Amino acid sequence: MSFTPEAGTPLAAYYAETQPRAGTVLSRRSLGTLDAVTIGRYAMTIGAADPIHYDAAAARSAGYADVVAPPNLLAAIVEWGVGTPETALGADGTPHGGEVPLGEGLRVMGAGEEMELVNPAVAGTEIVLETTLEAVTPKQTRAGACVFVTTLNTFVTAEGAVLNRNRRTVVLRDPLEES
Amino acid sequence: MKSTTFEVGDVLPRLRHTATPLQLFRYSAVTWNPHRIHFDERYARDEGHAGVARHSHLRAALALRCVTEGLGPEWHVADVAYRLRRPVYAPVEVAYTARVTALEDDGMTLELIEEQPSGEVGFEGTVRVSRTVRDDTDGTRASTALVAGPV
Repeated sequence: MSFTPEAGTPLAAYYAETQPRAGTVLSRRSLGTLDAVTIGRYAMTIGAADPIHYDAAAARSAGYADVVAPPNLLAAIVEWGVGTPETALGADGTPHGGEVPLGEGLRVMGAGEEMELVNPAVAGTEIVLETTLEAVTPKQTRAGACVFVTTLNTFVTAEGAVLNRNRRTVVLRDPLEES
Repeated sequence: MKSTTFEVGDVLPRLRHTATPLQLFRYSAVTWNPHRIHFDERYARDEGHAGVARHSHLRAALALRCVTEGLGPEWHVADVAYRLRRPVYAPVEVAYTARVTALEDDGMTLELIEEQPSGEVGFEGTVRVSRTVRDDTDGTRASTALVAGPV
């Protein structure tokens, strides 16, 4: 109900810093153009063999403008463009200091996701991403004190057509809180 | 040929999958995900994991493959929601199932389950699919029965 992380812990500092930003738009930025190689590589990695992911002619005959991404590709890509220099990655490898705060020194894991697929993402589409910090919620769990962070990522085309609304929740905890 | 008619309770063909450390590495690479728990086993164990952890998005992608491959091209995913109950470490075989729970005018809802070797549920979710229709104006894919708001 009114749980807050123990004072003096990294999790408490993270919560105090991040919670006031809940409800704000963190960023709106162009991610560049989704290309056919990225779509094909993603499909191959997850074992999706449907030619609509690899072959433009097959995709067109299925009604798509070009090769089409598997449903959760946009949501799955962590960094677009060239990414983060290694010196700016945290000890766990995650990019800290980005627009979605992850908390230096905290453990982070995916917790769940809600995704609305409004239009297919096809090769050649310029993707724009708007990220809103929806909720920062502390909870006491069996694994210790946690903070659940929910962001709403809305992927749109340069013309403004919504492709995907993705509400993702991650859970952060202090390393010392792990059982 | 896949049937285009489904009933509540129908179960799509189960998708069994063994994610190897190599697949996890390639998934990290293609999604440009540098989180070490997915490809650095020593680091992952230092964090308390039992090995390299399968990405939540990879698990979702596999669950959605069960749906799209089981239903065929006449259907497409309109929305999906899932919750992760426990992690999965590579290599291990898990199974994804999808069961029809509701029928609508031009769509249906299915329950998604990831079953771990112990029989425990690692991931559970709900997916809504819509019939795929063509847009007569330009021949591209259009959809029906999309939800108006977030799931």
